Amino acid sequence: MSATLTITTDEWRYWLRSKLALAVVALFVVILVGVSALTNLRIEAEAHEREHHQEVSEETFLDQPDRHPHRMVHYGHYVFRAPMPLAIFDPGLDAITGQTLFLEGHRQNSATFSASASSADLGGLSWLTPALMYQLFAPLLVILLGHGAIVREREAGTLPALLAQGLTGRRLVAGKLLALALFVTLLLVPVLISGVIALSAGERVLAAASLLGVYLVYLLIWVALTLLVSTLAENRATAIAVLAAAWLALTLVLPAAAVNTTTQTAPLAGKIETELTMLTEIRDLGDGHDVDDSVYNDVQASLLAEYGAASIEELDINIRGVLAQKAEADLTETLNVYADRRMAAEMRQSDRVSAHGWLTPTLAVAVASRTLAGTDLFHYHRFLRQAEALRINFVQGLNRAHAEALSYTDDINRNRDEASWERARIDASNWQVLDSFQYESASASDRVAGAQWSIAMLAAWIAVLTLLLAWAGGRLKP
Amino acid sequence: MLQSEVWFLLRDRAFRVWVLVVLLFSGFAVWSGLAEVAQQRQSIAFLVDADSTDRTSEFSAQGDWGSAAYYSFHLTYDPPSDFAFAAMGQRDASSWKHRLRMLALEGQIYEHDPGNPELALIGRFDFAFFAAFVLPLVLIFLLHDLKAGERTAGRFNLLVASAGNDNRLWWTRSLLRAIGVLIAAVGPLLVGGVVSGTSAASLLGATAMVTAYVLFWTVVCLWLGSRQHPASVILASLIGVWVLLGTLLPAGGRVIIDRLVSVPSGADILMTQREAVNDAWDLPVADTMAPFVARHPEWTGYTHTGDGFDWGWYYAFQQVGDQTTESLSAAYRKGRARRDQLAAWFAIAAPPALLERWLQKLAGTNVEAVLDYEESVRAFHAELRAFYYPGLFGDAAFDPARIDDLPQFSSSE
Repeated sequence: MSATLTITTDEWRYWLRSKLALAVVALFVVILVGVSALTNLRIEAEAHEREHHQEVSEETFLDQPDRHPHRMVHYGHYVFRAPMPLAIFDPGLDAITGQTLFLEGHRQNSATFSASASSADLGGLSWLTPALMYQLFAPLLVILLGHGAIVREREAGTLPALLAQGLTGRRLVAGKLLALALFVTLLLVPVLISGVIALSAGERVLAAASLLGVYLVYLLIWVALTLLVSTLAENRATAIAVLAAAWLALTLVLPAAAVNTTTQTAPLAGKIETELTMLTEIRDLGDGHDVDDSVYNDVQASLLAEYGAASIEELDINIRGVLAQKAEADLTETLNVYADRRMAAEMRQSDRVSAHGWLTPTLAVAVASRTLAGTDLFHYHRFLRQAEALRINFVQGLNRAHAEALSYTDDINRNRDEASWERARIDASNWQVLDSFQYESASASDRVAGAQWSIAMLAAWIAVLTLLLAWAGGRLKP
Repeated sequence: MLQSEVWFLLRDRAFRVWVLVVLLFSGFAVWSGLAEVAQQRQSIAFLVDADSTDRTSEFSAQGDWGSAAYYSFHLTYDPPSDFAFAAMGQRDASSWKHRLRMLALEGQIYEHDPGNPELALIGRFDFAFFAAFVLPLVLIFLLHDLKAGERTAGRFNLLVASAGNDNRLWWTRSLLRAIGVLIAAVGPLLVGGVVSGTSAASLLGATAMVTAYVLFWTVVCLWLGSRQHPASVILASLIGVWVLLGTLLPAGGRVIIDRLVSVPSGADILMTQREAVNDAWDLPVADTMAPFVARHPEWTGYTHTGDGFDWGWYYAFQQVGDQTTESLSAAYRKGRARRDQLAAWFAIAAPPALLERWLQKLAGTNVEAVLDYEESVRAFHAELRAFYYPGLFGDAAFDPARIDDLPQFSSSE
């Protein structure tokens, strides 16, 4: 054991003497801290702004004067997607997806206004986040520091000497491994800090700790790969060239190529395309504004029977409100079928891309990171679903008020004159059917469960590389 | 010397491997770009057809102008250009198709029909990405150890002694390698261009850009590579330059530009618009008609029929809703355009961003193209209003046959 530790401390001493290594690491840390601070500020400003808009939107709705209830159904409401606490580390889809969703009767709108649509366009890699720094650039540091670990001794001719002193090849590799492992652990301190900040904003320990864990495994994968190449390579130049090529393939090429193959093999029909089919289906449903729509004959008949009334005017409730509820429920059922289908198709695409994590750990860690942070596609869909639940809830609440708080006679005579128009209003206290909107992520354990495949991929990568490294270490002979 | 260098190069295994890799990457990028464009064209063809069928059945089923306008939707779209296969650009993040009707435009134009956001986040491996980010790394891998490699092999002094002028030797070696990589990169692009019928000017322009870009990186490699450092140090510094130019500068530029130029928040645009349109239901009719007539004096004589619902009044407050948001939405457009202009200037300092932007400009997939498309949508919506208003505010009787006179959206293909 002490031999291993000696190797480890020697390696650290070697790095501390290297001006290049020190400079690059210092630069990386400075940039990382800068990017973390900027992302933190940006997300916090966004959170503040969206919460403010949410409050204003709710107040505006509740402050509306007495009105015809169906006016409020069309008046609608806005919800805002507040960022998740860990978005300060991995904003994920935050900038790509719309932040605002308009909720109204008879429609499911799409979320609009994404930050990326209005930002200055400076190329594919300009959305720099702390997460991306670790996914793309931390491996470069590992390569820079570690590529020479073994091959350097070989080139300098010190390798046979080391091994002749009774040190086994595996021990030597283990010592270097420990040195690099210590280095990447220290490199993760900023993730820890982001995690602590997120905890204070309400994040769970499990999620933050898992996030730290997947990045540690990810960097250890690069440590193992680097040492493997360093053990097998003939000289330093070959080692660094092979590693740089591997980095290019694994971090830049394969994830983007996975997007290409997925859009080819699992294309996604556009929203307009599916809505055209949906519109035809919706037109066959009844028009809830029209009491005489033949679709509602049954509803009318059963209501009359229930209340023992001879005509709809004699009913104790306003049939227009009842029909509005029925129509909204039927319509929503169809809308949800299409919305679910759309989300399922998107998830299928995302799963297919994620499966490429078996080929590149960068994709595996990126997917796990977004899932744990609650900034992935699943959570975006979750936002849409929570917003829809709010929508149907207040719309049906208003329709219920329409049925119960406004008489049928007043309702149908509303356009007769000014006084009738006044009578066809209900009290503003009915607007309280609107619930306050609080976008919530899945529980930390659900998020960890959601990331299980990506975590399995990372585990497979580290397991295979460790085995290979043990084999390569065993081959080192004096 | 040139002949022997070419001969030497062709026997260089690393060079042959990398040229093959570049050929494969470029070919894959171009091939999937072509497939994507074909998919988008197919989807547009389907939509144009389905849209027209849907409108025909809806329009002719109506009995008055108001309902006809309410139930008729119109497809607008921005078809991929003949060079879009090389640079998908904004097409993955911004809307290039809408389906509108004659309601308030501000409530419709920001509707989004995007692809999968997770895929947009990772980004596509298109030719622009390949050329801007992957190609320089390949050049770096190939060129960084030309000198250092010979030094390590102990041939450096011999080579310099026999070749005489040492600079010329390294220039020749570097340029020959760069040319090999360039041919492998641009070859598939040209083939793709021929397949997709791209104009010669676009292909020539793209080739010139990529050539200049490859030359830039060759010079950078030569300059840093001529230092007397071990190959690994040179490689590390070159990758550092790549990270700086490809990521750090653009990321910084984005933050600075977005800070410098503010755009109104989407929430403000939407809520202002909603208030205007929805309040109108409860406002006196005159409050809506006054600003409407101020914009359209020709309909001054229009009188609201009856106390209840009236289509003319309804569409008038839709338009007044747009009028209320005009300044905000103009600021949103201007802000985006200004940010894009500044980004264009800033990109001069970051060649990878510059190349991507150039290629996207050629492909008509840049921010400018998105804004142009939005303008064409606005113009089309105005045409719709011009078509319906005489029926709504004048005394033109509704005639289902007038469907043939409906404005047609023509894409700027």
